[in-house]
Amino acid sequence: MKYFYSDLVRDVSYLELIKEINQSKKYKFISNHSDYYLIFKDIIVSLLNDSEIVLIDSDLSKSEIYKFNISEYDLNKMIVCDFPDVIDYIDLINRIKNSKNWQMVLFTSGTTGIPKRVVHKLSNLIRMVKINEERGLDIWGFAYNPSHIAGVQVFFQALLNINHIVRLFNLPVEKIYELINKYNVTNISATPTFFRLLKNANIKFETVKRISSGGERFDNKLFNDLQRMFPNAKILNIYASTEFGTLFASKGENFVIKDEFRDKIKIYDSELFVHKSLLGILDENNLMGDWYKTGDKVEVLKENPLTIKILGRSNEFVNVGGYKVLITEVEEYINSIPGVIKSKVYSKRNSVLGSILVCEVEVNDNSLTETKIFNYLLNNLQPYKIPRIIKIVNEIETTTTGKIKR
Amino acid sequence: MFEKITEIINYIRTKQGKDVIENIKLTDNLRSDLGLDSLDLAELTVRLESEFGIDIFEDGLVETVNEIIEKLKKS
Repeated sequence: MKYFYSDLVRDVSYLELIKEINQSKKYKFISNHSDYYLIFKDIIVSLLNDSEIVLIDSDLSKSEIYKFNISEYDLNKMIVCDFPDVIDYIDLINRIKNSKNWQMVLFTSGTTGIPKRVVHKLSNLIRMVKINEERGLDIWGFAYNPSHIAGVQVFFQALLNINHIVRLFNLPVEKIYELINKYNVTNISATPTFFRLLKNANIKFETVKRISSGGERFDNKLFNDLQRMFPNAKILNIYASTEFGTLFASKGENFVIKDEFRDKIKIYDSELFVHKSLLGILDENNLMGDWYKTGDKVEVLKENPLTIKILGRSNEFVNVGGYKVLITEVEEYINSIPGVIKSKVYSKRNSVLGSILVCEVEVNDNSLTETKIFNYLLNNLQPYKIPRIIKIVNEIETTTTGKIKR
Repeated sequence: MFEKITEIINYIRTKQGKDVIENIKLTDNLRSDLGLDSLDLAELTVRLESEFGIDIFEDGLVETVNEIIEKLKKS
């Protein structure tokens, strides 16, 4: 029996998946389930129907969804499909690969605080997918949010090789250990934060053959820790984003740019620019001519072959455990609380999450406490966007133009 | 030290509307027994560091209350 998906409560085989698909033939247009299996099934049905699907996080609040310009009607819309029954998994994969009109909409934090819609074609999402016999035996520990590009790419890598996907994301560490061992997971792709939380000096996973990580700063210390914990694994550091998917991979913290990409990337004022031919379809806000501004500061270590190291974000984004947070968006929410005059959100290095958000708030209502502000934010923002330390201060320093000093 | 740690853990819990845990034990697991997630653990390290000057997660994972105390005592 070939398994498609497992989590803490169930195992679903490819046979069962196909049976369910043939029976229902419909999908949620805006797929925001908290159950990963339902999201994966929605994606597959949309591919078979060769029509659009939108993915958003399951934990978004109403006011956050409103910013995505999504109506209540769309949020609940089901697409009823009309395609012939799927015969077996070979037929399933062949038909998926032939979806010509299918596209997937993902959202990324925009520079203005308004989430940016990014449309991906199948060809763009599977650019880095490797399909071969050896990969057919892979068992994937799924360790990303499924509505984010990295998760979507892992999903396609696994699906197109008819692999087994085991959900590891957002579970207690001891359950993750248990699942890796129970299913003999061979591949895990995750953020550095996920691996840092998994770290344990006494545990080794012998079955894991490939580890890849990215999405925030990946340093040599993490690399060594991973090698100890996964002694049989090849470890890769990946540079990717919602706009262009996976761009490069390396065996440490430095990226050597392959010849085929050399004329598609540029470094200007220490910032990385990517040629628009590598992007998904998006609004042209971040384009400068034919070049997309990544917002990532890099250090050039060598010119030939071009070797770079990612230093971090150059603007107002902070990376909290692999999630990009636009600090001005968080400030906007805090400033909208009655009694708050102004606020300043910034990041502090953290050994668990890479960075943690800290905030200073100037108030004219003495009854406002850290707990009250935190609670307000808890109802309005996704958890990783909420500053974990909120200090009430007498005055926040501003520049002569009235901007907050950073 | 133990009292300060339990006070901080309960502060992090109650801030989110969770109950105070009256009888926190040394053997309690931070995640499974005390219900702290990765964001909570990140906050815990910051608050402990500003209290004791030590980053408990700096070199590896801390699982239980007792392991926090050991880290703080060692340094």
